[in-house]
Amino acid sequence: MMPNTSLVFSLRKEMLFDFVAEVPSTGICAIFGDSGAGKTSLVRALIGLDDKFVGSVIFNNTVWQDNNNFVKTEDRQIGMVFQEPRLFPHLDTLGNLTLANNKNSLYSIKSLAKLLDFENLLDKKTMALSGGQKQRIAIARAILTAPKLLIMDEPLSSLDAHSRALLLPFIKTLAKQIPILYITHSMQELFYLASNMLLINEGSIEAFGDPQKLFIDPKLSLVKHAHSGLLLNVENLYWDKIHAMLQGEVDGQTVYIVMDKPTQEQTLQIKVESKDVIIATQQFSHSSLQNCLNSQIEQIEKISASHILLTLSLGKQKLLAKITLKSLQQMDLKIGQLVFSYIKAVSIIGDRP
Amino acid sequence: MLSELDLSAIYLTFKLASLTTLILLIISPPLAWWLARSKLFFRPFIESLVALPLVLPPTVLGFYLLLSFSPDSYFGAFWIQLTGNGLAFSFAGLLIASVIYSLPFVVQPLQSAFVNLDKNYLEVASTLGFSSIKTFYKVVFPMTLPSFIIAGALGFAHTIGEFGVVLMIGGNIPGETQVLSITLFDHVETLQYEQAHLLSISLLIFSMTLLILIYGVLQQRQKRLNDA
Repeated sequence: MMPNTSLVFSLRKEMLFDFVAEVPSTGICAIFGDSGAGKTSLVRALIGLDDKFVGSVIFNNTVWQDNNNFVKTEDRQIGMVFQEPRLFPHLDTLGNLTLANNKNSLYSIKSLAKLLDFENLLDKKTMALSGGQKQRIAIARAILTAPKLLIMDEPLSSLDAHSRALLLPFIKTLAKQIPILYITHSMQELFYLASNMLLINEGSIEAFGDPQKLFIDPKLSLVKHAHSGLLLNVENLYWDKIHAMLQGEVDGQTVYIVMDKPTQEQTLQIKVESKDVIIATQQFSHSSLQNCLNSQIEQIEKISASHILLTLSLGKQKLLAKITLKSLQQMDLKIGQLVFSYIKAVSIIGDRP
Repeated sequence: MLSELDLSAIYLTFKLASLTTLILLIISPPLAWWLARSKLFFRPFIESLVALPLVLPPTVLGFYLLLSFSPDSYFGAFWIQLTGNGLAFSFAGLLIASVIYSLPFVVQPLQSAFVNLDKNYLEVASTLGFSSIKTFYKVVFPMTLPSFIIAGALGFAHTIGEFGVVLMIGGNIPGETQVLSITLFDHVETLQYEQAHLLSISLLIFSMTLLILIYGVLQQRQKRLNDA
């Protein structure tokens, strides 16, 4: 049998939930959906904390659950970071970490304390710590158990900027060694971290795939998020001293971004609202607009009586433009047509969300 | 001054209470855990059985124990076969009776502590890969330690105060079954009021000191937790 590196499951609970999917167990797979859609219920079922689910879970060829077997949570070798840190109150930081420490762990307590900046908190009672400090320690604790799979349930949802800035790149790097299932309802976290996503809607899995692709699929419930705009990755950043603007590339095309001060980062994410994109069939020669991207119309979708949503391909990345039905008809736009997309405004998500 | 008989009764009482508490602290946690978690239909029956000594007159309990200790009963006969000695009017019999009699005083504080223990921490323990045993020693026990202290103290104090059951099954053998409460009763019966006073006041002071110590420790701990 071929070594199968995937998480395969089919789990049902009464009429409430029905989750079926196969997810590769590499990198970061986001679990995305609205509040109450069933994201947390799904991971609780996957790790065996809710025995009311029937069906099967197979991780890398190991059966965790089927009709005859139910491997207990403690024997599944899963690291779990809950939404709230849940540190043991009777122990200090070091005590919490020591208790979890497995000799096979990729990281030592010391190295995690350094990476996640809590070296000076090791002898502190956990109750005295801030939410962000606790969550960093909780993440370290889960990693120390040497998990085969790490599950994180909105770990950053209530954290301070310092903790978020520290954790996001760390999680991204960590995923090269440990596969991660990452629950979030933040589009920014999703686009920054995940290579795949499970879209959860009303108690079942609506779709699985590349976030960039799923977000522009008009058949999915996601489209209501996307209507407002998509995120673009900007690369090869360069600070234009003369004009005091940031210059960068989106799929090889130059864009200018207004920023108060130079940045050291090489990449950043910007959000382009669909209402801030102007479509033209000829290039403007006399206008103040700076950002013009060559693009191709991929999709034309009517989203209201008066409005149309265009999906535009920039190469690898996509852009959405909201125009009126009147404009569409006047300009006679067709799928496959090459157009110029002028961007009126962008909001900076930052080098990381 | 306390007579030699008094001192021997005091020693016997403390030995009985210590051993009883020790046994109870071993058997009660799993029982209390089961009572706190089980959803089986016969749980209320077991729960009632454990609580019975709270409501039953000690003499009733003593009477049934006396019957079961007799060599004619299965249990009594089995014990004699096992050890060669009868249970009635022996220290071993007294110990078994005390364990049953003080059981609810140890089980109930533990059970309520286990019920109130935040399940989130147990979930964390299982995701950290802890076995049930490790979870108990590293998480449940330290988090419910105050209840263990209270349970132990109540079990100990209650055994010291035991009278009715001892009267029924222990008899009054000095050094073997003659405990404090019985000795005190003897003093009063024989109008030795001075001795009775001395014994009573010692017991009173001891009990008060024990309770102040325990509640003091718990208060300090509470304060420490609040400060942090």
